[in-house]
Amino acid sequence: MNASDQLELAECITRARTGDLEAWGELYREFAGPIFRFCRRSLHTKEDAEDATTEIFMKLHEKLAQYDSTRPFQAWLYKVAANHCWDSLRRRRIRQDLETEGVEEMPLEHPDPSQLNLLLDAQSTKEMRDALKKLPARARMALVLRYYTDMSYDEIAETLGVRRNFVGVVLLRARHQLREALTGQSLQGMNAEQTP
Amino acid sequence: MSQLNQHAGGFVRHYDEITCLQYLEGLLDRPTARELSAHTDQCADCRELMHALERESRLLSNALREQEEAVPARLLAGPVRDKTPWAWVASFGLAAAGVYWLWTSFIDPAMAQASEVGFGSTDLLSTIFFRSALWKGWPEMWSLIQGVAVVSLSVIGFFLLRRSLRKFNTIAMVMTALLVALGLPVGASAAEIHRHESHFNLPAGAVVHDDLIVFGDTVQIDGTVDGDLITFGRNLTINGHVTGDVISFGALTDISGIVDGSVRSFSNQLLFHGKIGRNLTAFTSQLKTDPQSTIGWGATLFVGGDATLNGRIERGILAFTAHMDMNGFVGGNTVLKSNESFTVGPQAETMGKISYTGTVQPEVSSSAKLASPVETTIEVQKIDWYARATYWHRLLYWGSGFIFGLVMLLIAPGFFTETVQNAERFGVSLGLGVLTIFAVFIVAVAVCFTIVGLGIGIATILLWCIAIYCSHLFIATWLGRKLVGQKSFVGVVAGKKVWPVPYKGALIGQFALGLLVIDAIRMIPYVGFCVAILAQLWGFGALALTVYRRIHPGVSSAIEVAPVTA
Repeated sequence: MNASDQLELAECITRARTGDLEAWGELYREFAGPIFRFCRRSLHTKEDAEDATTEIFMKLHEKLAQYDSTRPFQAWLYKVAANHCWDSLRRRRIRQDLETEGVEEMPLEHPDPSQLNLLLDAQSTKEMRDALKKLPARARMALVLRYYTDMSYDEIAETLGVRRNFVGVVLLRARHQLREALTGQSLQGMNAEQTP
Repeated sequence: MSQLNQHAGGFVRHYDEITCLQYLEGLLDRPTARELSAHTDQCADCRELMHALERESRLLSNALREQEEAVPARLLAGPVRDKTPWAWVASFGLAAAGVYWLWTSFIDPAMAQASEVGFGSTDLLSTIFFRSALWKGWPEMWSLIQGVAVVSLSVIGFFLLRRSLRKFNTIAMVMTALLVALGLPVGASAAEIHRHESHFNLPAGAVVHDDLIVFGDTVQIDGTVDGDLITFGRNLTINGHVTGDVISFGALTDISGIVDGSVRSFSNQLLFHGKIGRNLTAFTSQLKTDPQSTIGWGATLFVGGDATLNGRIERGILAFTAHMDMNGFVGGNTVLKSNESFTVGPQAETMGKISYTGTVQPEVSSSAKLASPVETTIEVQKIDWYARATYWHRLLYWGSGFIFGLVMLLIAPGFFTETVQNAERFGVSLGLGVLTIFAVFIVAVAVCFTIVGLGIGIATILLWCIAIYCSHLFIATWLGRKLVGQKSFVGVVAGKKVWPVPYKGALIGQFALGLLVIDAIRMIPYVGFCVAILAQLWGFGALALTVYRRIHPGVSSAIEVAPVTA
């Protein structure tokens, strides 16, 4: 987003704060897509993502007054979206990976880079997305926050409710789980090819 | 966190993965980063790991940001799935109450009354409209009607689901439906037809061995029609004999002869001196039967002005009139709603009971021979605001509307919400409503008179009735949103207000409130009537606009997907 776009966005936000419906419409059109995709990556089903997208924009109506215009709007919006999605997952009692125990025991390893390269060679973005869907909620959310919204470790820590020092470990563990899922997919694919 | 691991028995020292990752993300402090950078210059393994991790990050980022899936249209166009079961629970409860109320208040009494005047519950519709009047070979015709109904429903179903069935072509589907409809067997329809005749006369002694359909200014039947007689003209006079049914549209229908079947008259004035073998159904402003006239079965009368019954009716009467003067024989029960007067003359003789509802007491001659005294219900014009039943009925009325709208909302949320959005365009919707509400009906009636279009016409009329009923529900939702749903506006996109608001729960609440307000306003004399008419036209127009836009999807605004800008 260039400087003039930023200026235009700031003006739009100012107008939206005064209740200008045209401005709300512009904001919606600009961000509905990215927010839907964020929700789609974070939540389990498309329907959940649709619900969440509209709920986030409704929240936006209430929260826009609290927005600090010195911060980037997109980052703030993603923070609102992330909180919403994470709350939604927690409300559904998805417990399998909400615990923080074990994070500190993450072994400090140096994996074989050639193996990792081999694994990545065989993957497309679609296979990557398919593997992401198989991850536990927190692992998936951590990766989405970092690599979709570019959130800082501090913001990720705040959203996921973990200590700042453990965010790196959470992300690394998520990557490991992702690699396992990718390996599993590759094996399944090979088996399917071999089956007459 | 910076760590060097002993690797492979301690001979080679490498940085651990998490430190490499943090280095790539710029999170290491400067001395450690410098140290790691120097190490990777020397260590091919750590360098390769850094590259692999960087590659993995890039692949992840691309995979997450790739726009492989479009934003669903209903994010802008309609609500999404609600997970709260309370709406269903409430729906079923209210539906049960509504059905019970409808049955006990209207359907059951109406069926009983219809039965009194000769219409069996199984053939009411066919008796009123078609019984051996238009078509021979009714069973074949019935299969056509059923076929057309199924095709119509299929088209509607496809129409509602078309977003999910994009691979199919709408036109191909409609054409297929039409071909199927045309391919169905058509009942035989032999009839002698006379058009554009200023004066048609079937002279005495002449016989038409067929159904006779006449379009003319004056029609006079002195001979015999061995079949049904259907006339469209100013005056119809029957002095002869019709062995089938008579259906007449015109200013004056005068029957002095004999009709073996039933008479269905849509005339300004109906004079009857002869004999009808079965039923008389009359939609007229004035009706008079002479003392020598006989109706073999019963009479169903909708008379805007005076109804004078001096003749003999072997079965019962169901009548809605302004003035009723009964001075003949009635073999069955009489159910009468007469707004202005009801007189029972000295020659009157009834074998059944008379139930009369009106605004004034009936005048009953002491010489009249009645099986039982007239059961009279005097209607009070003003609403009894204090009667509990009034509020109960109002509540049930609201409930039935609510259930209907709710079912519609749950079955076709996108269509419902789009129609509510279209109601926002008040001028266009109202104008279109005024135009289409009459045009659709006229076209549907006209189609009924074509041989192939009968089923389509009837299906259209039924749909028109449903649309008439539900049109105010869209306006109710619009109103509810205006009252409590301002926050749920997403805004205006391309000059069009957008309400994508998602919760069915919220939408249902807004609809319920709006309906309550409209029903409350309708209770106000005069103003309520005007508001009801306005809501009807406005809602019908919004509905028509939605249908138009569904047929021409190019008109609706497409959603532009913004790129990820984070």
